[in-house]
This record gives sequence, structure tokens and C-alpha cells, in this order.
Amino acid sequence: MQVALKAYGERGLLAHGLSELEREGLCRTLLRERPVGCVEYVEGYDTVLFVFEQSVAVSDLAKWFDGIELPQTAEAKQNIHELPVIYDGADLKSVAEQTGLSESEVIQIHSAPLYTVRTMGFSPGFSYLDGLDPSLHLPRKDSPRTRIEPGSVAIGGSHAGVYSVASPGGWHLLGRTEVQLFDARAARGAKPDPKKVFLLSPGDRICFQPID
Amino acid sequence: MPLEILSTGSGIALQDGGRRGWLRYGVPAGGAMDRHAMHAANRLLGNKADAPVVEVLMQGARFRATDDLWVALAGADSCSLVAAWSAKKVRLGEVLEFSKKAVGLFAYLAVPGGFQAEHWFGSVSADPRNGLGKIIRKGDIVEPSARQPGLSTGGIGRRLLIEEERRKYLSKEYFSLLPGPQFELFSAQAREALVVSEWMVSPKSDRTGYRLQGPSISVPDSIPSEPVLPGSFQVPGNGKPIITMVDGPTVGGYPKIAVLKDVDRDRLAQCAPGTQLFFKWADS
Repeated sequence: MQVALKAYGERGLLAHGLSELEREGLCRTLLRERPVGCVEYVEGYDTVLFVFEQSVAVSDLAKWFDGIELPQTAEAKQNIHELPVIYDGADLKSVAEQTGLSESEVIQIHSAPLYTVRTMGFSPGFSYLDGLDPSLHLPRKDSPRTRIEPGSVAIGGSHAGVYSVASPGGWHLLGRTEVQLFDARAARGAKPDPKKVFLLSPGDRICFQPID
Repeated sequence: MPLEILSTGSGIALQDGGRRGWLRYGVPAGGAMDRHAMHAANRLLGNKADAPVVEVLMQGARFRATDDLWVALAGADSCSLVAAWSAKKVRLGEVLEFSKKAVGLFAYLAVPGGFQAEHWFGSVSADPRNGLGKIIRKGDIVEPSARQPGLSTGGIGRRLLIEEERRKYLSKEYFSLLPGPQFELFSAQAREALVVSEWMVSPKSDRTGYRLQGPSISVPDSIPSEPVLPGSFQVPGNGKPIITMVDGPTVGGYPKIAVLKDVDRDRLAQCAPGTQLFFKWADS
């Protein structure tokens, strides 16, 4: 596999400009095998960051890429999560105004797609979801809120997402879900089970179910 | 042989080498802000370099020894009883008072074997924003994991770290920068401005990031969200760089013009708000 690589700091190498198929295939490969000395990897939107124990040359990682072959087809079976959402978000009205839609149309359009978890971060369990209808693409708010409650269902740019911990944020709030995305208590221990700590992982599919 | 927390002062927290392997779930690495000082404190007692320590922010914290015990300190020289970069046997009833004016923000307090504490994602690191790690409070007792240092202390009451291993945090030495992942997107003027301008650490700085006060540098458009490592100079729309620190966001869409060299991130951590900073591009 041929990829564009660049150094990121002393111990990081970034594979960039990846198509969604390449990125997805690479991440599935990484679940099975990793370059020697790679202590962790992180999915970005069209990037994958490799963090190494010690400084590694771009050419060494390029060699590893030469030796791997990506799966040619997208994975058939993926987890699908259904999240019930109460659409009473503080920005529902302003989103309707900015998009020229009615509030119920915003809800209908937001809850129609099957989304894919593209990237996780900036905070534990926060998921950038792909699949937001272009009619709801809006720039982030000019002045971010200083505190957004966990469970807040929001949109920002071309992504949908759900806030997993209380944090500042500039996305538009459409509603809330009572489903917990991140359970800090389950994170205790040397090697907690990610499936118990996080509801979602990169690659999972989710849909929103409007409830009263 | 525990220590009782009499006062938390400006802030105290259990820290260690931080979390590894959880960035892809959005969990920051955390851990000691100044790893060099943490390692030094641990080494003075024969501990593993990343053994749990108490990170003491500025002044005000006080601990009472409820038994005789060995402690080591490194980083900011703010404790009147034990000098930084040394280990000492303190006696029952003595109080470690972090009240001395010192250069540097963080002092690291180590005890034999490291402090006992529960792990979260494999680390004791306190990250209250994300609900991780035990938060230590006034009245709490913190205990060492071992009764004696992991090296011979027969007949001695004090150990000192060699001069070359100590840092004074005084120097006006340059901080070395590597090009960040979006270096090429920044204009030549912006790259030049970063290394010729005078910068100051903003008071709006914390364990998530150190903000810089100085001129605005011209910024390219934001990028699709990508992973962010500590030490990165993210430049938001206002042109004032934010240097990501250990509790910072794990992904972000601001372009990154530069990354600090690892050793310089430890030095930066010790720079209090108002400290002047000088940057240079590292020779590659």
C-alpha cells in the first residue's frame, strides 16, 4: 500500500490524505498487526497517527506499508447502535432559522441517516459521526459554550456528534440522549475493557430515534 | 508511614507517566507535566521513573509526616523542609510546607515505591475534567507503596541529585521547534513571526494547554479533524498559538505550525504565566 507520510513531533508519524476506504481498511489491519515499536495509533478524519516508543524514520514506516495489503471490501458486519433522542436542544430553533427548515424538518433530517463513527476525541468517548445531510452543515458557533452537558446531541460542520463528558464546545445543540457514551467508573484498572467503558468505537454505525 | 494532607494550596494531584493506548478513544495521556522532574524525584529513591508522585502546583500545599519516612523532591524549589533535587528522611510530625517562592510551577514529591493509588486506564493520573483518577483533598492520607527506598540508605539521611541533572528554570534559553504537520500551509512570514516575536505565557493556561500572548500570526484555513499530540502549536483563527499540554484535546481542526521537542515540553511546563519565551526552529 502506498501512502503519504509525514513526521509529527519526535515520535509520531502521520499517514495523511487517506480515502475513506483506505483509512477504514488500514484501521481494520491495525487491529491485527502494528509496525514494530508502535505504541498506539489514532484515527483522524482522513489521517492515521502512529505513535512510536522511539523516534522512527518515515522510510521505516513506509516499508511496513509496502508489506501490508488492505482488505478490498468494506466490512459487512458492524455494530449498529440506536440512540433515543429528545429533540429539545437549545439551538434547534436557530438551526432551523439558519437552514431555512422547520424544526420538525431538522429533526426528521437529522434522525434519518445511518451514521458512522469516523473519529473519537477530543474528549473521552466523543464521536465524530459521518453521514450528516448537507442541508444541516453549518459552521461552528462563533462563541463556544463554556459547558455542554454529557448526552447533548449536536451538529458541527459536516459532522453529527454526541457530547460524552461535560466540556466546552462550539457545536449546535439539537437534543439529548440518556444513553451513556462513556462510563469513567469502568475505566478503573490497568487494562480496562474498552467495550465496557465506551459505547462506541471507530467504525460503528449509529442512528437517532426521536422520542418525546 | 503515610503523609496527611493539611492543605492543597494552589493544587495537588497524583500523577505518573500517564495513559498509553487510549488516545483513539479520546482519552488524553495525562501524567506529570514535567516528566524530567518526576523522573528525577523517583530516581532519588530508587523508584521506577514513572512511579506515582504528587504534583504540587505553586505554593500553599502542606503535608504532615505521620511516621518517619523518606521523601524526594524535584522541580520547583518551593519546599522549606526538603530542597528540590534531593531526598531526605523526614521525622514523624514534621510538616512539608510548599511556601517558598520558587522559579518553576510544579514540584514533584516522591516516596519509596511511589504513592499507592488506584489506576484508571493504567495510570493514577488525576484528570477531573474527564472523571479519571483519585482526587486528593485536605484531610486525605497518602501512602507510599514501600517502607524503604529501593536503594541502600544505611547511615545516611540525605541524597542529592548531581548538578547536571538539575534544572533551574531560569535560563532564557530557546525552545526548539520541529515543523508541525501543517507547517507547509503557513506562510513564510508566519513561520518567521513564530521565531522572531516575543511571546509570553498567558494566564489562561492550564494542564490542557499553554496559550501564548504576542502578535497574531496569519493562519491558513482549519483542517479536517486530526490527532493532536502534546507540545503541538495549534493556531486558531485569532492567530495566537496554543501549545497543547498533556490533558489537552486528542483531536482538533486547528492547523499546527510547530511541535516542541520533548525535552522542551518539560521545560515549558515549568513556565509560569507571564514568562517570556523564545523559540527557534530545530536544526534537522
